[in-house]
Amino acid sequence: MLSTATNAAATPARTTPILSVQDLAVSFDNGSGPRVQAVAGVSMTVHPNQTLAVVGESGCGKSVTAMSTMQLIPRPPGRFDRGKIMFEGRNVLALSEGEMLSIRGGKIAMIFQEPMTSLNPVYTIGDQIMEAILLHQQVGTEQAWSIAIQAMKDVGIPRPEERMKAYPHQFSGGMRQRVMIAMALACQPTLLLADEPTTALDVTIQAQILELLRELQRSRGMGIMLITHNLGVVAENADVVCVMYAGRVVEYARVFELFDNPLHPYTRGLFNSIPLLTTRKHRLTTVEEVVKDAQQFTLPPPGGAGLDVAASLGKLVPWWPDPPAGVKPATQSGEDEYALVQVAPTRWVGCFRTPEVAAHPSPSPDLDYRREDA
Amino acid sequence: MVNYLIRRLCLMVPTVLGITFMVFMLLALAPGGIGAGLAVSGGQMSDTSKAAQMQAYLEDRYGLNDPVVVQYLRWLGRISPVKFGERDLRTPIGDRVSAPREIVEPPMGWAFPVPPKPEVVFTPIVAASGGADQASEQIVEFKKLQREAEGARRAYIGSVRFFKDTLADYVREKGAPWTSRLEPKGGAEPDKFRDLEFGDPAKDANPKAAALKEAAADMHLKWAKAEETRQRALIAFRAKPYPESGIPIIPGVVSLDTPDLGVAFSKNRPVWDLIATALPVTLLINAIAFPISYLVAIPTGILASVRRGGWFDVGSGLAFLSLYSIPTVLAGVFAIGFLANKQYLGLFPVSGLHASGAESYTFLPYFDDAGTWHEGWLVDTLWHIALPILCLVYTSFAVLSKQTRAAMLENFNADYVRTAKAKGVSRKDVVMRHVFRNSLLPLITMFVGIFPAMLAGSVVIERIFTIPGMGSLILEAIDLRDREIILANTFMIACVNLLALLLADILYAVADPRVSYE
Repeated sequence: MLSTATNAAATPARTTPILSVQDLAVSFDNGSGPRVQAVAGVSMTVHPNQTLAVVGESGCGKSVTAMSTMQLIPRPPGRFDRGKIMFEGRNVLALSEGEMLSIRGGKIAMIFQEPMTSLNPVYTIGDQIMEAILLHQQVGTEQAWSIAIQAMKDVGIPRPEERMKAYPHQFSGGMRQRVMIAMALACQPTLLLADEPTTALDVTIQAQILELLRELQRSRGMGIMLITHNLGVVAENADVVCVMYAGRVVEYARVFELFDNPLHPYTRGLFNSIPLLTTRKHRLTTVEEVVKDAQQFTLPPPGGAGLDVAASLGKLVPWWPDPPAGVKPATQSGEDEYALVQVAPTRWVGCFRTPEVAAHPSPSPDLDYRREDA
Repeated sequence: MVNYLIRRLCLMVPTVLGITFMVFMLLALAPGGIGAGLAVSGGQMSDTSKAAQMQAYLEDRYGLNDPVVVQYLRWLGRISPVKFGERDLRTPIGDRVSAPREIVEPPMGWAFPVPPKPEVVFTPIVAASGGADQASEQIVEFKKLQREAEGARRAYIGSVRFFKDTLADYVREKGAPWTSRLEPKGGAEPDKFRDLEFGDPAKDANPKAAALKEAAADMHLKWAKAEETRQRALIAFRAKPYPESGIPIIPGVVSLDTPDLGVAFSKNRPVWDLIATALPVTLLINAIAFPISYLVAIPTGILASVRRGGWFDVGSGLAFLSLYSIPTVLAGVFAIGFLANKQYLGLFPVSGLHASGAESYTFLPYFDDAGTWHEGWLVDTLWHIALPILCLVYTSFAVLSKQTRAAMLENFNADYVRTAKAKGVSRKDVVMRHVFRNSLLPLITMFVGIFPAMLAGSVVIERIFTIPGMGSLILEAIDLRDREIILANTFMIACVNLLALLLADILYAVADPRVSYE
């Protein structure tokens, strides 16, 4: 049974999403071979003060989605095939380079996985933070200096006045990531894209950095798209989770609902592959074992408050590129066989596009929800 | 940083010593030795000929009859800024005047007793309290004494040679086993005949006995004369007709002075004079050529990396590599043949640095009253060096621009470039502020290579266009085996090279904060 209805009542007045990715598809030229479809129809939303965790294995299109949001995909070889990315009422994919310059670093900021190499080695920390400030705020050098000092204080760097004149190589990894965050947040962005911000850090520093991000998010109300493949990080920090595979969203849900009851076999496979302290296993279950098991490809009947079309959707089968024999239902040939289907008021699962699904398209995933455990 | 600089500068001293020692030994090992360039040529050289005596004199004058290591140490003493012993004098035009050298006593003193050393009592003219007439009188007298001393010395060295040849003749008359002690070339080394007994020449059956005795007497006479004139010249020297050179540290023992590059064997002129005429020519050409090659190659490299794979990248790469593949010799000859030759275009002068009579030109070009164009010294010179510079520059584009391009491309994919883009830095600033700034390091290495090249000149181009620069000078010096020029050049280039490497290391620290010498 779904446990969604119990949590749904907790949401306060709805906010409009800051970022709304709608059916985004990005492909890359592969020289001689066919184009590589890195992202093939992805939809997601980020609300103010919300953390959307985008989870998936390497190459599933998480980073490409985030980079597309800032038009940082090199084109060529990259190309936006279809879809929109709405930010503050404008489709950023249609903006000119000049318009993008004011959005990048100003309204949308990004932090990266490799703090060791993401800072320019030949400029001081101060220069690099101030560069962002001077680009986006109408202030003089002196004022930019004090804004940068404040930004460094905000991210908990001790003695910021001294550190402003230091070079990146004089900082530890954790401190550099704090500098990256200070740089990203100095211009008060409304959306932060955090592309695996803690992957290169050791575990205690990871916790510090994530705690810092949470605090800054609460004080500024900014939306965060947290790209990660660490499910522990997701469980601790995310409000909403978007699980991706092969350039598509396979499951989209609130964090606790997803962890309590994963619906897609791939999500289940991910959770099964995590070792648990309480159970002793001879060997861990792999994701492949789960998605090769035909019995996993079942979904509970869709339904829930306000989901009128649920009854007419027919039998839903979770989408998978090469499903086990006998699982794949009849789909219309020539069309994309994937569709993201709303199976409950707060849950979306990637399913095969049966004629019934095609006849009743689901709305894009949009969850205005924040966890309340903090 | 200061510590590091001092340490590096100190390390340069042994390095320079090592370089000059190796070059000196290579010259000494070359067939004919160091003095081969001085060998008096012409016909069958008889041992007793004037030519042999001349040879002996030259060897004495340039110290070539000493062991190689002694010669090297003497050269080091000259080149060293720290001098020992009596200080040199300096003429008003900057020539260096050293004290007259010691004279070696005549050989075979055991058989032909050397007369006692003449004691010279001599009062030179001394310019008291700087009277101009008296000062010039003193100089005239000193110069005369110097000339006399040199002439007497030359006569004495010649007579020693003649004595040795006569001794060889004498030994040959005496026959075996004595003849086995003769030198392979036929001369005789007096020290090898210590047990040879000379009797009264009147009773000696050897027909060469009288001649030997006569040669010894002549030698003793000339020695006394040489010694006497030398002492006079020395007294006059010590009266200081010219001001002393350098700064004394311990008076009479240690002093500081500029390095003495010596006198070129082949031209009998101070090496410094030769360099001072050749160096500005090479510097002029290079000072125009290097900025051109950098100003063309680096922007091209940057642009090629920004438009990687585009028509500009491919086109510039192709063009520069094609130019690079043309040998300078060929290009120079073609440039002269087609562009300079009067039978073809005749646009440029064929050779040299100035038109004949350029000394009388005005500096800038002008039209005279009749409306005739006068090109002036500046335009004339630029017109003359245009083709050499073209030939010097065209090969340098490829390496420089490819280096720049490679360094830029390496940094384009760096994470911090992505960070800069995500900050909203414009494309131009990303390229110049972030990528190019980080690509400077490999360019610095190439940049400091300029300095030694500037001094060395381009042998090929200066040869083709008959330009009297450093390249021509060194080539000629090698042809003539002029030790002094070769050594002076090696020494200068070694010093500049080492300083350029130090400059590179300092520039690294400036360009990259991760490099530190604390």
